[in-house]
Amino acid sequence: MPTQDPKGTYSGVSRRQFLRRAGGTAVGLGALALSRPISKAAAQGASPYTEWIPANTKAPKRGGTLTRASAWDPPMLDPRLTQSVGLYQFAGLTSNRLVRYAFPDEASGAGDMSLKGDLAESWSASPDNRVWTFKLRQGVKWQNVAPLNGRELTSADIKYCFEAYAKEGVQTFNFKEIEGIETPDKYTVRLHMQTPNVFVAHALAEPISIVFSREVLEEDGDLKKRLIGTGPFVLKEHTRKVRAVLRRNPDYWDKGRPYLDEYIILMTPDDATRKAAFRAGQADFVWMASPSEVEAIRKTNPSASVQAYHNSAVFFGLAMSQDKPPFNDVRVRRALSMAIDRQKQVDTVFEGHGILGWGVPYMYFQEKPLTAAQFGPWWQYKPAEAKKLLAEAGHPNGFSTTLFYYEYWPQMTSQVQLVQAELKKNLNIDVKITKLDYTTYYGRYVESKWEGLCWGFQSGHAVGLDERTYQYMHSKSTKNFFRVNDPQIDELTTKLRQTPDPKEQRAITKRIVDREFDQVARLWMPYDNGFIVAQPFVRNHASIALRRTDGYGSPHIARVWLDK
Amino acid sequence: MYKYVLRRMFLAVPVLLLSSLIVFGLMRVMPGDALTVLMGESGNISEKELAKVRKELRLDLPYYQQYGLWLWQMMSLRPGDSLLTGEPITVSLRKAIPVTLELAALAMVLGLVIAIPIGVLSATRQDTASDYAGRVVAVSGLSFPDFWLGTLVITFAAIWFHWIPPIGYTSLWDSPWRNLQQFLLPAAVLGFRLSAATMRMTRSTVLEVLREDYVRTAWAKGLAGRIVVYKHALKNALIPVVTVIGGQLGVLLAGAVVIETIFALPGMGRLTVEAILYRDYPVVQTNVMLVAATLVTLNLLVDLTYAWLDPRIRYS
Repeated sequence: MPTQDPKGTYSGVSRRQFLRRAGGTAVGLGALALSRPISKAAAQGASPYTEWIPANTKAPKRGGTLTRASAWDPPMLDPRLTQSVGLYQFAGLTSNRLVRYAFPDEASGAGDMSLKGDLAESWSASPDNRVWTFKLRQGVKWQNVAPLNGRELTSADIKYCFEAYAKEGVQTFNFKEIEGIETPDKYTVRLHMQTPNVFVAHALAEPISIVFSREVLEEDGDLKKRLIGTGPFVLKEHTRKVRAVLRRNPDYWDKGRPYLDEYIILMTPDDATRKAAFRAGQADFVWMASPSEVEAIRKTNPSASVQAYHNSAVFFGLAMSQDKPPFNDVRVRRALSMAIDRQKQVDTVFEGHGILGWGVPYMYFQEKPLTAAQFGPWWQYKPAEAKKLLAEAGHPNGFSTTLFYYEYWPQMTSQVQLVQAELKKNLNIDVKITKLDYTTYYGRYVESKWEGLCWGFQSGHAVGLDERTYQYMHSKSTKNFFRVNDPQIDELTTKLRQTPDPKEQRAITKRIVDREFDQVARLWMPYDNGFIVAQPFVRNHASIALRRTDGYGSPHIARVWLDK
Repeated sequence: MYKYVLRRMFLAVPVLLLSSLIVFGLMRVMPGDALTVLMGESGNISEKELAKVRKELRLDLPYYQQYGLWLWQMMSLRPGDSLLTGEPITVSLRKAIPVTLELAALAMVLGLVIAIPIGVLSATRQDTASDYAGRVVAVSGLSFPDFWLGTLVITFAAIWFHWIPPIGYTSLWDSPWRNLQQFLLPAAVLGFRLSAATMRMTRSTVLEVLREDYVRTAWAKGLAGRIVVYKHALKNALIPVVTVIGGQLGVLLAGAVVIETIFALPGMGRLTVEAILYRDYPVVQTNVMLVAATLVTLNLLVDLTYAWLDPRIRYS
């Protein structure tokens, strides 16, 4: 109501008038908004962005600071106690491994899985693949930081480190396969394995197999606070929730490298903030999941370079309690698989830029990514057949089950809901979804006693074939979270690690994959491919299969340079 | 007055004890375990290893013993170490508290700078365009969620100005200018939300006070409008406003986790939420007790402020 101010005059707008005018404005604005065409950035067919950015042919320039806004923040620095990408996004730069995979400037393409020497110049295996000998580079120095003070790395350091890994922590399962370690001289390490294994070098090339120092472990009792290695960068600062600062190691054994003076990782948990940081020039490269996000960034940063990354395997899928009914019946698993439209998830959730989902990296058994047909009959979307098969299995009216998951990223919730809807519609399976926080989800998942379904994972760090087959699929492995229990797979994965011939390895791997598909042992779900977007002056930053430069592939940063 | 203060401090003890019981109990009741996350990322948690670490951290003791131990640690101001990082909790707090204090202080100042003048303007120009504009601003502040506003602000700052606050917290003593740049936007977003409730309360109480007899007398005496409003009316109108501000300050000091996350500030909010997610019992319990003690103190300070604002109020 208009009021009378102390001077006795009426003024102002009445409430009714205000509401009328405000309402009219809102309707007008709404009409304006709706009249604008909403552009949907859906990738149709091939991505317009390159899949591979080869090494730049110019001579690298030294100097400069590379900055990245990172979603990950390691709770601690101890490589024995965590495999988190938060740690290895920079531990791969402070430290070396005995062996490594090819860097982008050495690789023939995005799928190059060749091994190169890191701390080891050469290596060889005995004819039975039980004894592996590694010849270390001479003159490699620990970083010139107390208590190492730049002393030379010797075989005793490797022995100490590997024995420490075997003693406690998350890598004991792998390192306990070493029966004994000999150091016949300062530069020779000889590993005696419990059983023959042709993939020992590959296991030691995993991003997590970094060599840490004895002195720090003995002085501190753990490695939680200090990370000193032989790598191209020295960890100058790690402030949790703030930043990690790495400076060039002036005594690095690979002379002339790294090119950068400094690499700064800014801990930035929010996705919108990371993108804003890239737009504002505070971050030099960033990961994006979808084509529409890339297009939005290129509107403000048109000269950004974009690599369309292609995953060679996926890490998430429907894990089933297949040691219990009803999922112990292969017909039920097959029915579930045929009732889920994976292509729809790729087209909608990932805007066409995703893969249908398989567990073993394709380059270990064929040249190109799998096509839908190659998955076999149980992985095609055939709801009518699925219903028939489920009825044959004794569930003509479906059944009820549960599914728990943790939302690693928002798209996962969409996928979970799509699966729930399709299983209900096609098979009358009622799936009760429970979204958990990380700790509850993780604890329940790795305990492997849950029932029903879980949106489960296999570890993201693993590059090697042995890790992806034997370690994750053998029934006796403690990393077999999907609870695969198939004697044929057990036999094949064991045979694989005893097969030195590459052609035979591919053939056996193909048989493992075919068996996995046939038995629907792990019900893989689609996954995004993603994009690496970089400022135009960043060179040699391309990501390779299973080694994203911003994550477990961080050692690549030693070859990155800035053309400015 | 001092007897009143002593009595209030004495009454704070059962409040804090009850808070400690609740937070301890809730953390133990929550499913999941800090040790599982800590040790099991590759699935290699053997029962033996878990039992060993549990024993080292004294998590194998009966709950009442754990509670007693923790209470003793709190009273002797030695809250122990984080289960997750191994860092002493006092060190973590020393890093997080200044961030939260600074954010809270700036947000409060900005909030009051917006709220009080607009609230007074709205009240003195009731039902005019300025009043409606002020009320729209207030309702917007109440309606817009933190995460939405913060995300909008940072996204459009980057798009329109190719600038965002520098990421990577820098303390005020290391670089005041960089620090100010980092805090201004988040404080403005938080302050905007806080100002909404304060603005509405200010408007409402000023309107009420302006109708009092003594104010009418002041107008009748021919005093200038500014003197009537700011010298006579506002002080009395502020008592309920101070209550609102006190409550908001308490919430701010607990940590604004959404704003801290969006603007990458390592404050109490993020520290506490991360500790809850990872079941880092000692950190959660310590932080909650700290917040409880802060709120109790703040309430006391708010009550004492009443006496300053209104001389009729006296405590004994």
